[in-house]
Amino acid sequence: MSTAASFAPLKAATGKAVNLSMQRLWLTGQVLPAGARLLVQHVFQSEEDKALEVIYSFPLPRDAALRRFRITGEGFEAHSELKETEAAVKAYEAGILRGSLSTLARQYGDGVVNLTVGNIRPKETITVHLEMLCGVELRDDGFRFRFPFTLAPAYHARAKAAVTAPGEGEMELPADEFGDVILPGFREDASLLHQVGFELSMVSQLELDEIGSPSHAVRVRQDGGRWARIALAAEKDVPNRDLVLDARFKSVEPQVLAGRDKDGKGRFAAIVPSSSFGVTNEAPRRVVILLDRSGSMHGEPLLQARRAIDACLGMLSETDGFGLVAFDNQVSTFQPALVAGTREFRDKAHEFLMQVKAGGGTELVRGFLEGAKLLEGGGGDILILTDGQVSGTEKILADARSAGVRLHCLGIGSASQDRFLALLARETGGVSRFVTPRERVDLPAVDLFATVGRPIVSGLTASANIQPEPPSLVFKGTPVLLFGDAGETGENQIELSWQGGRLNLPVKSSENDIGETVWLLQGSRLITDWESRYPTSEAWAPLEKRKQSRVAAQLLALSQTYGLASREMSLVAVVKRAGDRPGQLPETRVVPVGMAQDTAFRAYFLSQAGEAMDAMPADASGFLAAMAPASIERARRGTAMEFTTLFSRGDAVGKFGNASRRAETAEDILLELASRIDSDGGMPGKNSESRAGATVIAVLAFLSQGHTPTIGAFRSHVARLVSFLQSLTGLSSHQQEMVAAVVELARKGAAPTGEWITLARTSGDHWKEVERGVRKGAIPL
Amino acid sequence: MSKSKTLAELSEESGVPARTIRFYIARGLLDGPVKAGRGAVYTTGHLARLEKIKALQAEGRMLAEIAHDLNGPPVERAVPPSPWWQHAIQDDVIVWVRGDVSPWRMKQIRAAVNDIASRLQEPESSNARRNRK
Repeated sequence: MSTAASFAPLKAATGKAVNLSMQRLWLTGQVLPAGARLLVQHVFQSEEDKALEVIYSFPLPRDAALRRFRITGEGFEAHSELKETEAAVKAYEAGILRGSLSTLARQYGDGVVNLTVGNIRPKETITVHLEMLCGVELRDDGFRFRFPFTLAPAYHARAKAAVTAPGEGEMELPADEFGDVILPGFREDASLLHQVGFELSMVSQLELDEIGSPSHAVRVRQDGGRWARIALAAEKDVPNRDLVLDARFKSVEPQVLAGRDKDGKGRFAAIVPSSSFGVTNEAPRRVVILLDRSGSMHGEPLLQARRAIDACLGMLSETDGFGLVAFDNQVSTFQPALVAGTREFRDKAHEFLMQVKAGGGTELVRGFLEGAKLLEGGGGDILILTDGQVSGTEKILADARSAGVRLHCLGIGSASQDRFLALLARETGGVSRFVTPRERVDLPAVDLFATVGRPIVSGLTASANIQPEPPSLVFKGTPVLLFGDAGETGENQIELSWQGGRLNLPVKSSENDIGETVWLLQGSRLITDWESRYPTSEAWAPLEKRKQSRVAAQLLALSQTYGLASREMSLVAVVKRAGDRPGQLPETRVVPVGMAQDTAFRAYFLSQAGEAMDAMPADASGFLAAMAPASIERARRGTAMEFTTLFSRGDAVGKFGNASRRAETAEDILLELASRIDSDGGMPGKNSESRAGATVIAVLAFLSQGHTPTIGAFRSHVARLVSFLQSLTGLSSHQQEMVAAVVELARKGAAPTGEWITLARTSGDHWKEVERGVRKGAIPL
Repeated sequence: MSKSKTLAELSEESGVPARTIRFYIARGLLDGPVKAGRGAVYTTGHLARLEKIKALQAEGRMLAEIAHDLNGPPVERAVPPSPWWQHAIQDDVIVWVRGDVSPWRMKQIRAAVNDIASRLQEPESSNARRNRK
């Protein structure tokens, strides 16, 4: 007997093993700066004496679509067919009735997929190799790839959640909105669930400088600068968080990935960094910051978000207008209208932020409608800081579009809401970033805020062969991604024009298979865009009634053109084998997943009086069945908790401790400096001389950490500080000389050696240190 | 006598997808078919139960609660909840491990049980040799 097998849970009543119905999930494939083409291997195994029907639920990554699957087992291999969802479900059910091994991959709202494999025979191992395409989060200097290994519970006003056993919870969504989607069980401890892992290749046209992962320990092998192989360093991992990979290019310049598709036609994906547009925008801004204070933001995310907002407000001048809204189920507004970015209002905003506590649900729509009200009549942008853990995203997207405001999203979370937040930003004309809670939230927030409200390009249009249409606005730091065809010759010219500019990029297809991949990526992007456009009533309609939908018709056409699944077309395979037993009833197993790392189980699941709810019959629940019979406490009567109760203030238990206990880093000091900048761009002080001294030190502190007027998260702060220094008059000639030297250093992006960070924290006159530093000469950063 | 239905007919009449019906059966919300195999049939009793489940869901109940309600009150037990895991490491040896220990402790216990299991797998002579060392 293998000891590995012995660790499977046992049914207490019979002593027989209840093995995990899915053993392994392994990710392979190729990641490009324009997106990824992935092969996800799911290994299902039955150690039971009856046929099984196993349901695995997972969320789609951003801009993703399923292409096909191959199913293998002992002595057979079969391939999926793409059928209209209604027909696919019928084919699946007919296969089940015949006793044949049947597999269905069906997409639901919110990009949730149910992969159902029915009639797995006793003791049989079945592998489903599922191919999918997905997008990446692009930045001028690199990209972030994110793949969900778990599905996080999410807020919905009508969802129900309950604890079914210690550390185990389940959640149900209303059937009238979500159909027959089945969510997984959520396990607080993922260590006994199926194993996950990955081995991916990465290919770029630009040389890759750095590759890393904030989520997993990885082994990276780079070859020739443009190719890399990334694998999980450990033998295996657990399904409790997304895989996040970051790649940084050695240079920032446009890249065109072009090749021929299977029919020989030229296809390309072009990535044009915002720096190619060569424009800056210093116009006054009108910005509302929306802070998610729901229970799932408890702990470090909320603490960091608060500090980040303080620092963001340090970018504002008196000509800028800002608003501040905190939301959970309820909305709290800082002021009933936009206010000027003066010291007085920023101090009041700080006090407002200090009162914000985590708790409650995530009523995102209420939040941005309040933000839209603040911006009413004058245009402007909303920056949302949220973990985005919400269900019913199509409705939110529809509301966001009709609100007519531009939303920028900073997502915070270890499990993916990347697809939703990317769509929310893109569909309203904004940009998005997604960070894990174990990364700093504050710096990306400051970085994103520096671009918000100041598009560097407007009215962008592209030549007719580009699909989807490029965004009308371009924001600093975020490139434009274009998909198009290069015709039979494989050569083309991308023509971009905007108010005040024009750019041409040549396309030359190479003889590789990248053309097929970029064409599929174009399809998955188009499908994702259309998926988000169902009017609410159509999105909720049953399959047979949805046929009238314009969006459904468009999705059908796209699925057929690109050979990709959508909500309207699903993948199905039925394998007829000798020994099939018609009419047998396979027993359903739902594959559980781990709670998203750093998300408190109690933020979503609470039993009454802390008791486990006796919710599932012993035979149907793997781990519950594993308990000793005498140990199962039968609660009086389990009651599903409403979210309003579940998310009550103070119930959420954050994993992180108090941030003040964390050692202070240079970035912490810079954030604090940034939040102290006065509305005229200078540091505070009792007179102009002391203000000049403090501002000079602040500039040197930012420069010493790589933040210049054009580079780094604090670029806007540095630019304002420098601008303040340039406006100074009335200083002594010696001080004026020092100020001029520091302005010159900022222009060059170089800092002299010195303890500038320490000095920035110390009060008093530091002109001597500045002089010594300046005389020592600048060193390149 | 109840009129017999196939799963497809039961699904059609109740408006509950066939996959969901199988899921309910597995969770103990609904009895299995009255006959197994090729001639598996369901009755109006199944249909009534599905209607009942839908009604309770519409009232805001979770499936877990509905199963609890429909299957009658559970047996009261005085023992506090504490999950235990059984590991049958040999035909004649079962190890019980508390399931709610911390992950590091579970790792430690696993290693120990693995060790015992592998030692019990070895032929008696090699165990004896090891003991003599």
